[in-house]
Amino acid sequence: MTQRPRLVARVAVHLGLVAVVALVLYPVLLVCKKAFEPGRAFALSASPLPDHVTLDHFGDLFGSTFLRHTFNSVVVALATTVVGVLLSCTAAYALSRFRFPGRGASLSTFLVVQMFPATLLLIPLYVVLDHLHLLNSIVGLVLVYSTTAIPFCVWTLKGYFDTLPRELEEAARIDGASPWLIFRRIILPLARPGIAVTALFSFMTAWNEFIMAFQFMTSESQFTLPVLIQSSATEHTADYGLFAAGAIVTSLPVMIAFYALQRYLVGGLTAGAVKG
Amino acid sequence: MRSASTSLPALPVVRRALRDFAVGAVCALAIATAAFVGVRNRELAAKQLALAERAAEAAARHHGDVPGAHAVLVGPPQPSAKYPVLRHRSVLEPGGWRVLAGARDDKLRFDAANRFDRDGSFAELLPDSRAVAAAPARGTVAVAITEPAELAPFPWLVVIGVLGLGAAVAAAGALAGTRSRVLGALAGLAALAVPPMLWGSWIAGSAILGIAGAVAAAQRAELTDRLALGMRRHRTALGFLAPAAIAMLVLVAVPFLIGIAIGFYDYHSGHWTFVGFHNFAELLSGGGHSLDDPLNFWFILGVTVVWTVVNIALHVTIGVSLALVLSRKWLRGRRVFRMLLILPWAIPNYITALMWHGMFQGEYGAINQILHKFGISDVSWFTTWAKAFAADVTTNTWLGFPFMMVVALGALETIPRELYEAASVDGASAWQRFRHITLPHLRPALGPAVALGSIWTFNMFNVIYLVSAGKPGDSTNILVTDAYRWAFERGDRYGMAAAEAALIFLVLMLWTVFGTRLVRRKEAA
Repeated sequence: MTQRPRLVARVAVHLGLVAVVALVLYPVLLVCKKAFEPGRAFALSASPLPDHVTLDHFGDLFGSTFLRHTFNSVVVALATTVVGVLLSCTAAYALSRFRFPGRGASLSTFLVVQMFPATLLLIPLYVVLDHLHLLNSIVGLVLVYSTTAIPFCVWTLKGYFDTLPRELEEAARIDGASPWLIFRRIILPLARPGIAVTALFSFMTAWNEFIMAFQFMTSESQFTLPVLIQSSATEHTADYGLFAAGAIVTSLPVMIAFYALQRYLVGGLTAGAVKG
Repeated sequence: MRSASTSLPALPVVRRALRDFAVGAVCALAIATAAFVGVRNRELAAKQLALAERAAEAAARHHGDVPGAHAVLVGPPQPSAKYPVLRHRSVLEPGGWRVLAGARDDKLRFDAANRFDRDGSFAELLPDSRAVAAAPARGTVAVAITEPAELAPFPWLVVIGVLGLGAAVAAAGALAGTRSRVLGALAGLAALAVPPMLWGSWIAGSAILGIAGAVAAAQRAELTDRLALGMRRHRTALGFLAPAAIAMLVLVAVPFLIGIAIGFYDYHSGHWTFVGFHNFAELLSGGGHSLDDPLNFWFILGVTVVWTVVNIALHVTIGVSLALVLSRKWLRGRRVFRMLLILPWAIPNYITALMWHGMFQGEYGAINQILHKFGISDVSWFTTWAKAFAADVTTNTWLGFPFMMVVALGALETIPRELYEAASVDGASAWQRFRHITLPHLRPALGPAVALGSIWTFNMFNVIYLVSAGKPGDSTNILVTDAYRWAFERGDRYGMAAAEAALIFLVLMLWTVFGTRLVRRKEAA
């Protein structure tokens, strides 16, 4: 650890890493190749570079109902984020600052709900939404996504509030400010970066969700992007060119967001588990 | 008891009694309303169906229409003149026979006559509360459709009256003395059980009596006063918590309880039948399938456990190895390597799964193209369990190792370099340094990561469903995909699916409790 290994060893380690990176990149390159290569089949050669380059698949994509599904996805993800952040920021503050009976129980409940997959609620949610005539509706899907968005936002925001200094609040309390005033005038402005990161993550989660949307949105006009992409890749008339183009356009924004935010992600995910 | 009550605020005793009554009454009202709607719908359905049947029989005997329903005679099916494959039916109207086509309710009559001919009887309630029934009428079928039912109004006056009476009893009991206060609470709330019992809903009635008993017992033990005091003392915190707590109650707790309840029912074409523990018994007994049958619950549980263990082992091994390499200070381009290696985590996992599905598929899939160069040709990945499982594991390992790698990297950064230097000075070998310095520092971070990762993997629906889709013959299903199939691909067996979901929850709960114990014991040791 303290001394550098010999040159041969170092070169070998670098080469090994390059090989692993190649393994990681290969499927991604195949998808990129498919997106720019004519034809519908997935891969007729193992080479990750296309023989001919065409933009036809992107043309087809934007010529289809892609924009409509993008709109659905944006609305669902935005609404989920707004619901999640609005409903959870006060609770996160309470869990971070106040000591009250039931605090521990609430914390573990939020943690368990966030950790356990929403798929377990798929059947009751399906039956209930069917009963309320909310299948195939954006409102219904937003309600479903909120089941995971709210506990996620509570935990992440609580983690952020924990890092904020308490001196300002104490000063304000001595000056006679009410808890609500302190929360609105001091905490919320201070927590803006944390809220932004939390909101982006919950947007990404909703944007990437597949199975609930697949089950609840059965009429084609209500499809969100994951359902559209899945249907282009697995139906009997699979068009992998369209799939690849759609996959790139859909995942590029969230990938950029992921790279910008990934250092917060690890902290947020494990902080709960460590403390719980 | 005396000493406890002296610390309570000197709230008038009547106000306290009314407060307890109000809390109990809100729960009781909710139950009573549900009971009322349930009973009303049941009676309505029976009434409408009886009316439709009466109307159909009347029409069959040419007695004309019964009030509230309209019946017609539908002729036998005739081959269509233009397309002999299609069958037409005609309906007798004042102006003569008319072919059933697109007019209002024509489809209802056509379907009713068809199902009557097939089953020998037909009566059904429509979602808009109309009922359809059919009766035989000498070569034709009499089909009657009722008007939509008029809903009985909610009995507000009765409810308000009972509430007032109950409140008065509770208040009077409180005024009369300490012991009668409890009796007043019991009697006042019990009064609310009377209307549901009159409607014939014994379950709701007993539930309300149970609430009355619970409130009275709590009041006797001064629990209600202490609870109220606690809520008042912490009202700021509870108020802040309320929006998320209420949302979780409505969106998670209620569906969760409904899910458990569904596990005790069987669903068949629109009807729920209570079957007790039957679904659970069928799952846990293997449902008549032998232990090596992919439809046996224990087989699927086994596959799920193997799936989880194999994946987590691979994720941790690969992730930690890469983290150890990436943490070397002499490595060139560490940031670039790290960025490229977490790429799989950045890609939405359904896209990863679809991508690998495409790579494994067919003789021209990318994987087979590569294998071909090594002299292995035409592997059909989804025809044997081992190959399909390997395809799933490959996909999930590809997308899962970066998480463990990043967690391990974070933990490695916290290890002070001096520890290694001191160990080297003392002559510790590389393995000893890893065993006694690196591993102990990794464990606290990897423990939670493994707990989280195992729960994710245990329920990794997207990979299984999109890569192997359970092939061959359902054998690569894990518990969540199997539950999904019960619900949506094996004829709407919601009961079985919900029972299986409940069992999954139980397994995960046990694992969480047991797993944390395991981690703690290791830390203590």
